[in-house]
Amino acid sequence: MTRLLNKPLKAFALYALVILTISIPIYVLVIDYIWTSELDENNWLTLEHTKQRLQSKQFTQAEIESINHIWGELQPGVSIVKATTKVVFQDSVYEAIRPNEFDLDDGEDRFRGLKSLIEINGEPYVLTIETNVEESDETFAAVAAITFVFFIILIIGFILLNRKIAAKTWQPFYQTLSSLKSFELSIDKSIQLPESDIQEFQELNQSLQQLITNSVSTFQQQKSFTENASHELQTPIALLKSKMDLLIQQKSISPAISEILNSIEAPLSRLSRINKNLMVLAKVENHQYSDKEQIDIKEYLESAVTLFEDYLDEKQLKLSNSLEQSIIVNANSFLIETLIHNLLSNAIRHTLKGGQITVSYQDQTLQIINSGKESLDKSKLFERFSTASKDKVSSGLGLAIIQEITNKYNWQVVYHFENGNHLFSVSFA
Amino acid sequence: MKILIIEDEQELAQDMVKYLTNEQYLCECASDFKGAMEKIHGYDYDCILLDLMLPGGDGLTILEELKRQNKQDGVIIISAKNAIEDKVKGLKLGADDYLAKPFHLSELAARVESLIRRKQFDSNNVIIQNELSIDFNAKAVSVHDQALSLTKKEYDLLLFFIGNKNRVLSKGALAEHLSGDFADMFDSHDFVYAHVKNLKRKLKEKDYGDYIKTIYGTGYKWEQ
Repeated sequence: MTRLLNKPLKAFALYALVILTISIPIYVLVIDYIWTSELDENNWLTLEHTKQRLQSKQFTQAEIESINHIWGELQPGVSIVKATTKVVFQDSVYEAIRPNEFDLDDGEDRFRGLKSLIEINGEPYVLTIETNVEESDETFAAVAAITFVFFIILIIGFILLNRKIAAKTWQPFYQTLSSLKSFELSIDKSIQLPESDIQEFQELNQSLQQLITNSVSTFQQQKSFTENASHELQTPIALLKSKMDLLIQQKSISPAISEILNSIEAPLSRLSRINKNLMVLAKVENHQYSDKEQIDIKEYLESAVTLFEDYLDEKQLKLSNSLEQSIIVNANSFLIETLIHNLLSNAIRHTLKGGQITVSYQDQTLQIINSGKESLDKSKLFERFSTASKDKVSSGLGLAIIQEITNKYNWQVVYHFENGNHLFSVSFA
Repeated sequence: MKILIIEDEQELAQDMVKYLTNEQYLCECASDFKGAMEKIHGYDYDCILLDLMLPGGDGLTILEELKRQNKQDGVIIISAKNAIEDKVKGLKLGADDYLAKPFHLSELAARVESLIRRKQFDSNNVIIQNELSIDFNAKAVSVHDQALSLTKKEYDLLLFFIGNKNRVLSKGALAEHLSGDFADMFDSHDFVYAHVKNLKRKLKEKDYGDYIKTIYGTGYKWEQ
């Protein structure tokens, strides 16, 4: 993953590289052109000057030969020689590459020359003037080197500017990002996003604000819906229960009707349990049960064991409780009671007749182990209504409530299946 | 004995009246805050069943008013709120008991019976049921002046039966009475059979009448 600002940086750097690379030959050509035209002009001036002087002085042929000799000795590449042919030619510019006697290290040098026909005393002479020119490959190397240095400076500049822009201009964006990261729908009611003078960021923040406000209100509606729905269901359930109680008082109930009445009791009590659990879930989610007190888990567990004694006996379950010391937590007593009851009733319900339940405490972790056949589906276990399908009594919410309660206090509940045992551990750390 | 049922759900109030009314109890109803206030100002009751959510006001205000007037009426809060805070608050304000909706009418009857009994007999809290005598303070039961040793659950069952004489009690209601709110976490309530069987056996051993009848398919009944 690349960061947003590094993307244009790469593109800019690449673009700069391409442009600067293309610029090198162009620079070289231009410089070379300027060089040569300047030298040609210089050669021409020298030539014209020399021509004028030579013609005005009326030199003899011998004198001219000696001038050629001395001049050639003094300034290399300059010569005045008698033309071999009578052919008249215009001034011509030429370029030659040959070793320079003064600059041996450099190998061959480039020379720019000008040849002209001059008539002295009626005799045609060829006048040649040469000047050393920088070779274009040397120009190329120099330009390339300078361009490279500038490229480096450019890149450093880009990086520094980028950082500065990131720090300043993009700051509201990163603030928004961190606000979003720490936002939790179930806890926060609204979100504070930073003001920005950049239009896009301001629009982004406004859209996010809108989106979050909608989500929060939907979430709140959903939560209050659950609470309201279960509240509304309480009265009809209470009525059903009381009507049932009145109905079984009737004198003339046939065994067949009696059988049906009896079978209504179980689904009715399941309905009532689901409703109670939904209400508890909604209330925990709505951050009720905020009262806290020092609670001894061991005490609550022991009283739950006493309470469930009949159910343990009925299934001939062996329960071994190895808790010795008090386990003190600071929490809501109702929630702790609910947590313990759910964990324990769960173990009792899902252990086969004659099975074993073990309660232990180690390293701030309460473990409830019960014998079982195969592992439960870990991924769905703590979801609402995920396990309810087959079980006739389960509300499908017991484990969801356990999870919700542990979440509330930042505890951990974990399920394992080991050596034919279901293992639920609640870590209070 | 007069019982006032303050409950806005009239259907439920009528069910309570039907179940509770017998030779001993006379029930009256109030379905809103104003009506309830008028009743408690005008009359004395042995027991008031108080719903907390009432049209026109909070049930807890009625409780405060009762205490302010220094009335001796026993109060059982019956609330759909099932909120622990309400329970704690209500009991602090002087309510005698708390019953969360939905409840079995038999449970309500047992609570009412127990409350009235506590209010009536302050020092010598003993009831005599034919040859059976129950000393509530000592939690001791005797038949023909012979001590009857019962487990805690058998004792609870006995009181539940006595509080619901001539009423059919479902197995679920008995299970809920014995293991509280958590009975509905389990699918089987067969343990109720065992406790009832033991109680019947112990009573029979002391030559007490066979009052506990099994009603086919539904549950049990203390017939007298």
